[in-house]
Amino acid sequence: MTTKTDSASNSSRSAETAIEISGLGFSWDPAQEALIFPDITLKRGEHLFLHSPSGSGKSTLLSLLAGMLRPAGGSVRVLGTDIHRLSAGKRDQFRADHMGVIFQQFNLVPYLNTRANVTLPCGLSQLRKQRTEPTVADEAERLLAALSIPEDHWQRKVTRLSIGQQQRIAAARALIGAPGLILADEPTSALDVDNRDRFLELLLNLAHRHSTSVLFVSHDQSLARHFGNRLELRGDRT
Amino acid sequence: MKARLAMTLALASLWHRKKVLTLVCLTLTLSVSLLLGIQYLRTEVKHSFTSTISGTDLIVGARSGQLNLLLYTVFHIGDATNNIRWSTYQSLKNDARLEWLIPISLGDSYRGNRVVATDENFLKYFRYGRGLPLELTEGRWFEDVFDVVLGAGVARSLGHQVGEQIVLSHGGGRTSFSNHEDTPFMVTGILEPTGTPVDQAVYIGLDGMEAMHVGWESGVAIPGRTITPEQAEGRDFTPDAITAAFVGIEQQVLTFRIQREINQFAGEPLSAILPGVALSELWRLMGQFERALLGITGFVVITSLIGLVAVLLTLQAQRAHEIAVLRATGASPALIASLYILECVALALVACVMALAVGMAGLSLASPWLLANYGLQITLRPLTAAEWALLASVPVAAFAVALIPAFNTWRQSRRLGFGEAGDQ
Repeated sequence: MTTKTDSASNSSRSAETAIEISGLGFSWDPAQEALIFPDITLKRGEHLFLHSPSGSGKSTLLSLLAGMLRPAGGSVRVLGTDIHRLSAGKRDQFRADHMGVIFQQFNLVPYLNTRANVTLPCGLSQLRKQRTEPTVADEAERLLAALSIPEDHWQRKVTRLSIGQQQRIAAARALIGAPGLILADEPTSALDVDNRDRFLELLLNLAHRHSTSVLFVSHDQSLARHFGNRLELRGDRT
Repeated sequence: MKARLAMTLALASLWHRKKVLTLVCLTLTLSVSLLLGIQYLRTEVKHSFTSTISGTDLIVGARSGQLNLLLYTVFHIGDATNNIRWSTYQSLKNDARLEWLIPISLGDSYRGNRVVATDENFLKYFRYGRGLPLELTEGRWFEDVFDVVLGAGVARSLGHQVGEQIVLSHGGGRTSFSNHEDTPFMVTGILEPTGTPVDQAVYIGLDGMEAMHVGWESGVAIPGRTITPEQAEGRDFTPDAITAAFVGIEQQVLTFRIQREINQFAGEPLSAILPGVALSELWRLMGQFERALLGITGFVVITSLIGLVAVLLTLQAQRAHEIAVLRATGASPALIASLYILECVALALVACVMALAVGMAGLSLASPWLLANYGLQITLRPLTAAEWALLASVPVAAFAVALIPAFNTWRQSRRLGFGEAGDQ
C-alpha cells in the first residue's frame, strides 16, 4: 500500500473528522481481487486533493463515500457516521443533508433555472434548509453573487449559460446550507486555465467560510498547490 | 416537503419538454374526447331512440311478435303480417276506455319512403321525444282525398314544396315500376323535423289510400277500371281493413287489462304491444354494437397512452444526466421514479380537461346542425356518474402505464454510482 498523505491526524475525534476511511475495499465481482483504497482521515473544514490517474478507482471511491456503492470490506465514516451501516433510504438522506456534489460536467438539472438549481438540496434536506441564512433564496443569491454569476442570469435557463458559469452554479448548489463535505469530481477539467484557478479559489474560500471540507479529485497535478492535504490514488489490488 | 419538490420538478420538466409533449397530449386529448363523446352520444341516442314514440299506450295490429309489429308500424321496416278488419277497428273505437285511436294503413311507397294512410288523429295525438307533438312547418294537414303531407326528411331530400303534385308507387321498395299515375297527390303540408322515422314517410288519408287502389284489386292497374280525381269526387272510400292502430288509454292503470283483452279478441287474432317495452327490447339488440364501438374507442385511448409511454421512454435517455445529478444530491430512487408517474398523470389530467372543453365546444357547435340535418336532439347536460367514471379511468390508466418507465428508472437509479449517467 503506497499512500502518501500529508495529513495523518489519526487522533482526532470522529465528530471532528470529515472523512475517515479504514481498510476500505471494493469489488464488482467477488471472484475478482478487490480494489484497495488507502486509509484517509480528513479533519473537518480541511480540504484534500486526491490525485487520481484514470483507472485508479476514483469513481468507485467517490461512490463509496457518497453511499451509492457498498464496500466489500472496511468502513467509511463521514462526519462521524458509518454510512454503510445506514439503510439505503437513510444513506440517500444523509447525502442530501451532509454532502454537496460537483461533477466534471452536466451538473445542472436542465429544466430548472439558475436559482432553482442552487436551492435544489434545500428541497431534499430540511437540515440544509434550516442552515440557510436568513432564507433559502437569500443564501442562494448571496452564493451566486459571490461566485460572480450576474443577477440577470439567476432566472435564466441554465442550458443557455457558459460551462464556466454552469460549474460555478454547481458550486453554489454544493455550498448551500453548509454541508459538512463537498465531493468534487474533476469540476475544473472542462474549464480553461484562468477560469480554473478562479473557480478553485472561489470554491475553497467559500467552503472555508462555511467550514465545509472539500474532497477534490483531479488528474491535474498542477492544481495540488491550492491544497494543504494531498493524496495519490493508485488503484492497488490485493 | 419532498412531495412538493417532486411536483415542482415534474411540472418544470413537463414545461421544459412542452414541444414534444404538446403533441402527445393532443393525441391523448383527441382520443379522450372520442371516448367521452361516444359515451355521451350513446346515452343521448338511446334516449332519443327509446322516445321515438311516446304517449302511445298500445300498438294494435294483426297477431305477430312485438318487435315485428313495432318495426313495421313505427320504424317502417318490414311488412305487416296481416290486416285488421275495419269492423274490428270500429269496435275498438267504440270502447269508451280508449281515449283515442290513430289508424295506420301501410303498403305503398313514395321513392323509397313509406306511405302512411291515417287520419287527423295522427297530427292530434301522435307524440315523440319528451311528449312533443307534431307540427307543420308550412301548409296544412290533408283534408281532401288526394292531399298528401310530407315528412321533413322526404321534403328536404326530394326538394318538394307545398302545392306540388306527386305520384305514389304501389308496394314498398325504393324503385317501383307500378305507379299510381292516374291519381296524383297534391302536397298540402310539410312536417317539422322530429329525428324519428316520422320524417321519412308521407301521410295521406285512409280514403286517399282507398281511392288510388280502385281498379288495382289484382295487384296491377287494370286499364279503364282505375279512377281519376274527378271521378273520385263524392264517392265513399271507407276501407275494408287497416294495418294497425296506435291507442291512447284514458286510465293508464287499465293498460295491461286492455292489452290482454285485445290479445284475446274473439273476432280475429290481434296483438297489442306496449311500445316502451318493445323499444327497450329492440335497443338491447342494437346495444351490442354501441358497446363494441365504446370498446374500440377504449382501445384508441390505450393506444395513445402507449404512445405517451413510448415518448417518455425515449425521453428517458435524455434524462440520464439529470437523474445522476438528482441521485448524487440525495434524491431517492423512489422520488426520481415518482417524477415519471406525476408527469404522466399530469398529462392525462390536462388531456381530460381539454377533452371536456373540446367536447363541450363541439357539442354546442354541432347540435343545431345535427337537429337540422338528422333531427337528432342532443343537448348539453352535466355528465352522468358513468361518464365521470370513464373520464377518471384515463388518469388511472396513465398512472398504470407510467409504472413502466418509473420502475425502469427506479431500478436503474438504485444501481447508479456517483456521477454516473446510467447505461446509455
